Amino acid sequence: MSTFLYVFRELLGAIRARSALSFLLTGLLLFLFLAAVGTFFLIVPSNAAREGGSAAAPLEALHVGLSPRLSSASIDGLYLEIREREDVKRIEFRFAQELDPEATGGLFAIEPAAAIAADDLAELTLYLGSLNGVTDIVEVRASAEANASPLPLAARIGLLLVIVLAAAGSFWSARRGYRELLQTFAGEIRTMRLSGTAERTLFSLLMAFGVLVGLLAGLMLLVVLTLLHYVAAAQATPSAWIEGLRSGGRVFGVSLGNLFLGLLLGALVGLLGTSLIHSREFDPLP
Amino acid sequence: MAVMIQVSELHHSSEDGIKVLEDVHLRVEQGELAYLVGQASSGKSLLLGLLGTHVPPQRGQILVHGRNVVRLSPTRLLDLRRRIGFLPQGAVPMPRTVQDNLMFKLRTLGNYPEQAEEKAILALESTGLIRQQGTDALELSSLDRVRLGVALAICDDPLLLLIDEPFEGLDPSERDEVCDLLERIHTGHPTILVATRGPLPEAVRSDHRVVTLSDGAVTGI
Repeated sequence: MSTFLYVFRELLGAIRARSALSFLLTGLLLFLFLAAVGTFFLIVPSNAAREGGSAAAPLEALHVGLSPRLSSASIDGLYLEIREREDVKRIEFRFAQELDPEATGGLFAIEPAAAIAADDLAELTLYLGSLNGVTDIVEVRASAEANASPLPLAARIGLLLVIVLAAAGSFWSARRGYRELLQTFAGEIRTMRLSGTAERTLFSLLMAFGVLVGLLAGLMLLVVLTLLHYVAAAQATPSAWIEGLRSGGRVFGVSLGNLFLGLLLGALVGLLGTSLIHSREFDPLP
Repeated sequence: MAVMIQVSELHHSSEDGIKVLEDVHLRVEQGELAYLVGQASSGKSLLLGLLGTHVPPQRGQILVHGRNVVRLSPTRLLDLRRRIGFLPQGAVPMPRTVQDNLMFKLRTLGNYPEQAEEKAILALESTGLIRQQGTDALELSSLDRVRLGVALAICDDPLLLLIDEPFEGLDPSERDEVCDLLERIHTGHPTILVATRGPLPEAVRSDHRVVTLSDGAVTGI
């Protein structure tokens, strides 16, 4: 066994009930942090749900294509005729090149009256299609992405709060744990310093311990997500919000990402521990 | 005879500017057992800290085993520190058995388990602690704590032993026992410098050099 592993084992052996509780709390809070971060990536609808949502998205406008052969007088006439309709809120002429550089001619961007019924919309479309010089009609709907997340705003704010509080709480409990652990290990630290152990060895020991806590939190989330994935995949009629959990690739990606995030947070926790060993109580000389 | 410690024009002040050591000159030969005697706050512990490379020097020259402490790189300074056995004043052992105290130090210095055990047993035999090897170090008497401190200092075959106040809190017969222990150790370990408040125990042999430190300066050799 290498010197580092020997001392690391001794450091682990110096964990007592109080420091163990603090580090357990640190691990759980890191797990909570990672779970909240993971939720943002997992609670999103699948592609199928997104496509279905597209048709149901609210109508923003109708783009009515006009033949390039129409004279300006004819376009003016059509404009006035359409504007008079009750089911039209606003009409605007645009050059087709504004939307597509390859296109020619012009188009009317028509905003239907608010809360137009599906039948009325069909009637409006039919009417517009029957006009002379109209080449095509395109329904422009609100972006599906904007309404993609099934998480309400309050839930998203709640998750953000959980992330901030869990991070702060884990650092607080890690500091407590390290302080208690180092008090138990103070004699060993003094002996190591007295006998010429490099400071970087002490630094690496405490960093390694922090990384271990972060790694365990990340692994715990990986296990929980894998279990949830199998539960979600087994459901015949899953609700929309667990769609993300049914995708094995997405669960694996999120788990792996969170594992790295856990290691990073663990390193930060370790860094916090190393900041405590500069106290005078660990000086080898009185 | 080769020189183990050579100190010249050594000055040192505390953080608040009080002069603790002033123009200290000291020479200890290889194989010598010398006593550094001085009142409390005379700078003995600081001098030992400087010699043991635990305190960075401010002004002056310190040569230990031919190496200039002032100019050594951090890595070489650690290498030198590993060759110096140091027993600080009022050292408290680690909360583990006597033998495990030694094993911990030896393992952290890179000794293999068998090698560490062998060295630990040897050090315990030299200091007369072999029977207490399984005892919790915190339960040891004051005298045995000094013995353990000495065992810790000698266990990895150091070139130099620096021992600070080994007689503190001991009765006269125990002080004589520590003197006997130092004499025994001295036969196997070449150079020992012992700092003490004095007066020296009766068992100290008259042929050992006694250096007096007063108000931060060497006043008598």
